[in-house]
Amino acid sequence: MNSDSTLIVAFCCEHCAYAAADLAGGLRMQYPSGIRIVMLPCTGKADPLLLLRTFEEGADGIMVAG
Amino acid sequence: MSLGATGNPNPEANKNGLLAGSNLEKVLRAGHFAVTAELGPPQSADHLVIRNKARHLRDCCDGVNLTDNQTAIVRMSSIAAGAILVQEGLEPIIQMVCRDRNRLAMQSDLMGAYALGIRNVLCLTGDHQSFGNHPTAKNVFDVDSCQLVKMVSGMRDQRVFQCGEAIKGQEPRFFVGAAESPFAAPVEFRPYRLGKKVKAGANFIQTQLVYDVPAFETFMEKVRTLGIHEQTSILVGVGPLKSPAMAKYMKESVPGILVPDELIQRMTKAGASWAGKKADEMSKEEKKARSEAWKAEGIKICIELIHKVRAVPGVAGIHIMAIEWEEAVRPVVEGAGLLPRPNMHEPPRTDTD
Amino acid sequence: MIVAEQKTIDEVKTLLADARKVLVIGCGTCVTVCFAGGSREAAILACSLRMASQLEGHARDITDVTVQRQCEWEYLDQAADQIKDAEVILSLGCGVGVQAIAERFPNAWVVPGLNTKFMGLPTEQGVWAERCAACGDCVLGLTGGVCPIARCSKSLLNGPCGGSEGGHCEIDPDTPCGWQLIYDRMEKLGKLELLMDVQPPKNWQKARDGGPRKIVREDLKLHHEE
Repeated sequence: MNSDSTLIVAFCCEHCAYAAADLAGGLRMQYPSGIRIVMLPCTGKADPLLLLRTFEEGADGIMVAG
Repeated sequence: MSLGATGNPNPEANKNGLLAGSNLEKVLRAGHFAVTAELGPPQSADHLVIRNKARHLRDCCDGVNLTDNQTAIVRMSSIAAGAILVQEGLEPIIQMVCRDRNRLAMQSDLMGAYALGIRNVLCLTGDHQSFGNHPTAKNVFDVDSCQLVKMVSGMRDQRVFQCGEAIKGQEPRFFVGAAESPFAAPVEFRPYRLGKKVKAGANFIQTQLVYDVPAFETFMEKVRTLGIHEQTSILVGVGPLKSPAMAKYMKESVPGILVPDELIQRMTKAGASWAGKKADEMSKEEKKARSEAWKAEGIKICIELIHKVRAVPGVAGIHIMAIEWEEAVRPVVEGAGLLPRPNMHEPPRTDTD
Repeated sequence: MIVAEQKTIDEVKTLLADARKVLVIGCGTCVTVCFAGGSREAAILACSLRMASQLEGHARDITDVTVQRQCEWEYLDQAADQIKDAEVILSLGCGVGVQAIAERFPNAWVVPGLNTKFMGLPTEQGVWAERCAACGDCVLGLTGGVCPIARCSKSLLNGPCGGSEGGHCEIDPDTPCGWQLIYDRMEKLGKLELLMDVQPPKNWQKARDGGPRKIVREDLKLHHEE
């Protein structure tokens, strides 16, 4: 699979993982363009329907970070 | 005992106050220590199986229980098997469970059974169908065992169907039995539940297998306190053990059966000569010899149990359950000094009741 | 509450056959609180079925809607347009809900997405247990509030049978013996004497055995003025 066309959706907790991603951006760290970060108020919000809909909309993979 | 109906068309019913005039009733009425045994009908339509098993039981018991789809495995009907026993000249006690039939079918079958010459019925709840070979079946349990007892005795004494309608012709007259499991939970309630069955009309009781005599004595103490033994005849369930594995299985897996460790040890010891040998290391002859040694010990234990329970006040007889081992009944009865069985063919005394 | 559980997705797919336009309809009452057929389950099932149809190469139009109660026509009417528009209605209501849809919408092809199990309650998080068999003639007053019809495997009125062991039923070590529960409660409440009478055979005519049942309350019926 071509990593550039692979779509990974990362659901990140506002209080930790999202802040870490923000910091990584601030430090100009590189990550593949296929990764889309979605901020959640808490990973507890990552319910089955959200994950299913994400796949249904075309995601190849999901990362839940929190 | 009194008859509920007057002008009874059945001459036997009015003679000597007998309820059904069955051999078992006569034996108990005459004060003999009764012996009944169990015969499991085959899982086939072969009448010869019944006749062959009957040979082992002839003249060594006062009545033969025909199990009714025991453990919810479909078998030849207890009534059909009972009718074959009648042909063979043995006294059937048909078992009837509440699992498979509603009150219509039960009453219909009771009349049919009576017409075929059957005079004793044992009323049981029945094992749940989930145990058997048709676990997806619908169960019935329209009436329970207490209600069945009452229905059968009502047909005899009030000459009515369960609905209250009068039976216009010959009513089925059965000597009515029920079961009790003295050690099933809740143990404290068991004597009272027995009392309920007797209140419903149970003329005789056959208990679950008893191996633990002290526990049975405790049960009987309560039964005597309640005066139940004076209103019914209690036959104690006994059965020869076939192997230590069977003893352990019953102790661990069958509700309401207590097998003291001492008996399991005795059974194990009986096979001690072959101890430590795995099944595949033993020749056919060795296996047979071990099985014979176990069986001999099982019969010996059974005889001892009979002597012990016979000494318990309020016990009127024994019921031998030698499951798929009808050959064991005669040596057990003989060993317990209970042969010959009383011959009740002579007209009973006319001054009873 | 009425307790139900979802059919397997394979069975649901079989029921939908080759329908192109499907409406999954949830119910906001009993099956919501037992997590079988509420709005969340309806949306998840619709999404799963859409993805399955995509993977199988014949994308279907599968939408979902949830009404407050499928067992009342007034609530179903709120989804009338969607119901009429769909080729197959997959109801996540109990058996009553499925039939209410069929009755209200004579032209709708409705199939069940749930197996309706029993009337019961949650005994702990994630566990539901049967409590009432709707026999039509309540005997709980005789048995200390524990139902012998629903909770004894043999529905004995003069139990327990000989299969009661260590508090559980002979059918399964995880099934409490209904009569042990009755006995314990009656003993605790000092009412054991109530268990000493032989209870007569039950009138099953009042139960399902008497045929489909109906209650008519004249005092509640709307009578049109003449």
